[in-house]
Amino acid sequence: MNFSSSETHDHETAVEVRNLSVRFGDFYAVNRVSFSVRRGETFGFLGANGAGKTTTIRVLCGLLRPAEGYVRVAGVSFDQGEQAVKSKVGYMSQKFTLYDDLTIEENLSFTASLRKLDTATYMRRRQELFDFIAFDRPLNTIVRDLSGGTKQQVSLAASLLHDPEVVFLDEPTAGVTPASRSRFWSLIRKLAENNKTVFVTTHYMDEAEQCDRIALMREGKILALDTPDGLKRSIFPMPMLEFDPKEPLSFAEISEMATHEVFMFFEPYGLRFHASFRSEDGWEKVRPFFEEKFTIRQIKPSLEDVFIQTVESEVA
Amino acid sequence: MKTFVWRRAAAVSRKEVLHILRDPYTLGAALALPVFMVIMFGVAIEFNVKNVALTVCDSDQTQSSRRLLDSFGSSQYFLLHGVPSPYEAVKEVSAERARAALIIPPRFEKDLFDGRGAEVQMLVDGSDNSTVGPVLSYVSSIQTIASRRIADYDPPAPYDLRTRFLFNPELNSRWFVIPGLTVVVMSILSILLTALTIAREWENGSMELLLSTPVEPLEIIVGKLAPYGALGIIAVAFVYVIARTVFGIPFVGNLAVFGLGCLLFLMTYLAQGLLISVVTRKQTIAMQLAMMSGMLPSNLLSGFIFPIESMPKFFQYFTMILPARWFMTIARDTFLVGSSFFELSGSFLALSIFCVLMILIATRRFKRDLEP
Repeated sequence: MNFSSSETHDHETAVEVRNLSVRFGDFYAVNRVSFSVRRGETFGFLGANGAGKTTTIRVLCGLLRPAEGYVRVAGVSFDQGEQAVKSKVGYMSQKFTLYDDLTIEENLSFTASLRKLDTATYMRRRQELFDFIAFDRPLNTIVRDLSGGTKQQVSLAASLLHDPEVVFLDEPTAGVTPASRSRFWSLIRKLAENNKTVFVTTHYMDEAEQCDRIALMREGKILALDTPDGLKRSIFPMPMLEFDPKEPLSFAEISEMATHEVFMFFEPYGLRFHASFRSEDGWEKVRPFFEEKFTIRQIKPSLEDVFIQTVESEVA
Repeated sequence: MKTFVWRRAAAVSRKEVLHILRDPYTLGAALALPVFMVIMFGVAIEFNVKNVALTVCDSDQTQSSRRLLDSFGSSQYFLLHGVPSPYEAVKEVSAERARAALIIPPRFEKDLFDGRGAEVQMLVDGSDNSTVGPVLSYVSSIQTIASRRIADYDPPAPYDLRTRFLFNPELNSRWFVIPGLTVVVMSILSILLTALTIAREWENGSMELLLSTPVEPLEIIVGKLAPYGALGIIAVAFVYVIARTVFGIPFVGNLAVFGLGCLLFLMTYLAQGLLISVVTRKQTIAMQLAMMSGMLPSNLLSGFIFPIESMPKFFQYFTMILPARWFMTIARDTFLVGSSFFELSGSFLALSIFCVLMILIATRRFKRDLEP
């Protein structure tokens, strides 16, 4: 596996994490994690619930003090205090976006006051951000009346109000419609074009696919870190095949195939199966046998395949 | 680095006020509750028992027995209702048509004039404790009057005992209850609403977002508590105005002393509400804990309704750790007795200790909880 983390200290590094551990009692929520994120990069965190994604983000936002490790965010190291970090980063939490019973304006001006923005700056930023998210609803709309997708966009605007260098988005698109998701991601790409560093966690593979690089996390550790294509290449060095059964299969036949020694990876994918083999030679020997039962064609491995192989595999 | 920024505290306050204004339940509770409680306690709940249903069985039917009954009937305390036999008198009481039965035996007058000493039986329904006391005290005072009327002359008394009630000459229960209501109303508003407001931020996850900004814990505390403090003061002012104008309850003490007591009590309970919300982080649990630790004691153990002096020894000492008990003393004594600050210094000292203690514990817990 490829742990490609550039060990640079120049101002092009937005987030630098070395040997970060977070402990709750005896439980390591994050266990000796190291990585760095370039300025302007869209960096994805992928992993199951409880893998340590949110905990890592909370440390990087200055909400949690790490048990050990070196952390530097937007040029500020943690020795300078959480407040210094907090003023440089924006955070959008997965649990909460905006106060439902307040208007959009009240929500934004509240955030602006906490960030000590003066009125002129606030007004200018608000307009910029509304242009950015193409928001045209009246400012005195109560947040409760907004759709989930719009709420998330306004919430993004709120987290960008103080023009942070790095913005952390913790599952920003959970629970909104696919159309809203793709719109939100076009905003993230626009942020990246403006040289903003975006740090995002997600459950969606199609979203992860849009990141410059992704880190796969499990049980507090980073299992793999690379570009989406790099991950696919390194996890699946052999071609990925799609098996389309000619006849319906029994459970016994499926489980026999799944445990066949020639495959390093065999997973159901709808009515079909995705599989990759251990060696070219081994595969060529059994190929005729499988071609009787299946229509086989070569495909590109998806991130989901990568995720299943690394994060969900039994072997640690 | 750690500087208190008023603007951030004010922003938190402003947001909190908006929450209150948009939530009809909170606003309603804050404004209607004091009015509702004062009216309820002032009008509906009457501790002075009047018109007690009394069933009488006069088996004597003489001038003396009639004089005795007249004494009861003209007292305003009893509504008389005659039955022919003692058996039926008892039945009236057990059927709850009467609170008490007065049974005059035959030969009442005869025994009286023979100097053998006549006997009259009084049966009182003991299942309702709240009426027993007043009824018995009425009976004994009526007895004195009746004796004179029956004997038809005023015996020369060796001495004349004249009782006068100070501070509440008519023993009007409203005078006693309504000043105490300030304690109850304030405890509901301060402890309950504070506990809920901060628990809510934990529950919906917004506390996390607050903390991702450079806002300091102390700014959150001040910003969050200020509106509820103001609400508490407004509610007490409500109670005060209604007490003075609608019920004509006198306020003979020093308003500043009373105000100081209010402020101390308010801060103590705000801090206690804060502590509850920090510990529970859940609105439902916070609510229950606020009820248990704040409202119940101020209703039951502060001397509001049940006098502390008549509690078992253990509870008498136990009430000393309740801020409500001390504020109850301050509220009543400033309203009715007109006690000065120095006369109340014991209560003020106790209240101040709780106030400082509670603020220290709550803010420390809160800050420790919020700091990363």
